[in-house]
Amino acid sequence: MKILMKSVDMIFSSSKDGIITPLRFRLSEDGEESRIVKIDRIIDRKEEKLAGNPMLVFTLQSTIDGVERIFEMKYEVNSFKWYLYKM
Amino acid sequence: MSSYGSGERTILHVDVNSAFLSWEAAYRLQHGASLDLREIPSVVGGDRESRRGIVLAKSIPAKKFGIKTGEVLWQARSKCPNLVVVPPDYSLYLQCSNALMELLSQYTPLLERYSVDECFLDITHSLRGRSPLTIAREISQRIKNELGFTVNIGISNNKLLAKMASELEKPDKIHTMFPSEIPEKMWPLQVNELFMVGRRTAAKLNMLNIFTIGQLANASPKFLTAHFKSYGKLLNQFAWGIDDSPVNPYASEAKGIGNSTTTPFDVDNEREALLYLLSLVETASSRLRRANLMAGVVSVSIRKTDLSFSSHQRRLPVPTDNTESLFKAASALFKELWDGSPLRHLGVAFSSLCSDGFYQISLFDEGRILKNKNLDASIDAIRTHFGSTALIRGSFVNSGIPPLTGGVMDGFPVMAKPALKGGYR
Repeated sequence: MKILMKSVDMIFSSSKDGIITPLRFRLSEDGEESRIVKIDRIIDRKEEKLAGNPMLVFTLQSTIDGVERIFEMKYEVNSFKWYLYKM
Repeated sequence: MSSYGSGERTILHVDVNSAFLSWEAAYRLQHGASLDLREIPSVVGGDRESRRGIVLAKSIPAKKFGIKTGEVLWQARSKCPNLVVVPPDYSLYLQCSNALMELLSQYTPLLERYSVDECFLDITHSLRGRSPLTIAREISQRIKNELGFTVNIGISNNKLLAKMASELEKPDKIHTMFPSEIPEKMWPLQVNELFMVGRRTAAKLNMLNIFTIGQLANASPKFLTAHFKSYGKLLNQFAWGIDDSPVNPYASEAKGIGNSTTTPFDVDNEREALLYLLSLVETASSRLRRANLMAGVVSVSIRKTDLSFSSHQRRLPVPTDNTESLFKAASALFKELWDGSPLRHLGVAFSSLCSDGFYQISLFDEGRILKNKNLDASIDAIRTHFGSTALIRGSFVNSGIPPLTGGVMDGFPVMAKPALKGGYR
């Protein structure tokens, strides 16, 4: 997996217990039309607090171009931003 | 009474290695940077646009080029042309410092934040059968894994020795400096390495043929008192590792909060000068509020174009953290101080700080305390959430003066304070 750290638009759900679940995001690659990627499976979720900055790190699985891919996304709690971290 | 030799307390001193740089590096790695600033010649340095920026922190590879903290940036660049310079981000540093404090507070309630990147822990009653070294190792490992930076930890029976221990070999090391180890570990060090010995004292001691801490320890106290008065006695005690100051969790972290700026052009009219002052007060007062402190004394300093420096200060009738009241005090001081000659540097500082837990109502209050407090809180909240320039004062529009200036240290001194808390007599 390569580090991309690309900010993306995300639709996610937040349960009444405060559990955040990413659902689908918009991936726009340079020069290409953006497309929607649906999250098929959450493989792992963990919290990190590097530099005192809390982030939720998800290991996810989606089907992109007919290929099942595993990648990592980060949710930065302070800025409410989602990033495609590694793919 | 001294705790020397009693061995009763167990004190840790935790010191972040190249704090600003490590924090910047950890933050960048978290955001996907491929390069670790700590592994290349890099510095955190003042304002990029300003020629007057200085090195605030350096990486170990940068140190190998002879780059020193406090050096002017162009000088550092001339020593290492490929030097990576990153601008400082004080809110990030405060965030890192707070995260560090939060982690450390899981080990003991007796925790004293000594500066933004240093603190003392009294773990005497928190050992729970474990050795201090085990706890220090766990702390160091957790900080590395969870927060992404490294620390030096010094272990001893008092604050002075714990601090001296953590200053030994760096980075990412744990050292002990128990009283029995003083002759071996502390005495061979140069006298300027001793806590409380600055450059001038060191030079004076060298003149007296005292070059190492050991020589200082073995100098006659009478001789030292003759040259340094009561300070001489203190120096001698320090050289013997004597210190009984307590770890004080309630010590106010900041002695003062200040802000200053060198103006890009010479300021020669009152309106512009006051606008600069206001923009300095804006940032400094919001830092005051964030640290839950109020200021009892306001001081204003100016530097003229001929580099002459002057300052003026006054105690407020009642401590406050309100931007408007603080600015009012600062502008009154400025008007008394300024003779109209062009200025190139302005500064504001708040001191005699106290907790904002209560407010002493005075007969002369302007009757809008609560409203002002709420206004300040709303402005702070908007700026935190939407960026510092999301809400600015109308007077800054088209003035060419930044509505908020400065940013040095959110409530905590960058450098260690000149004296250990607890007081020496």
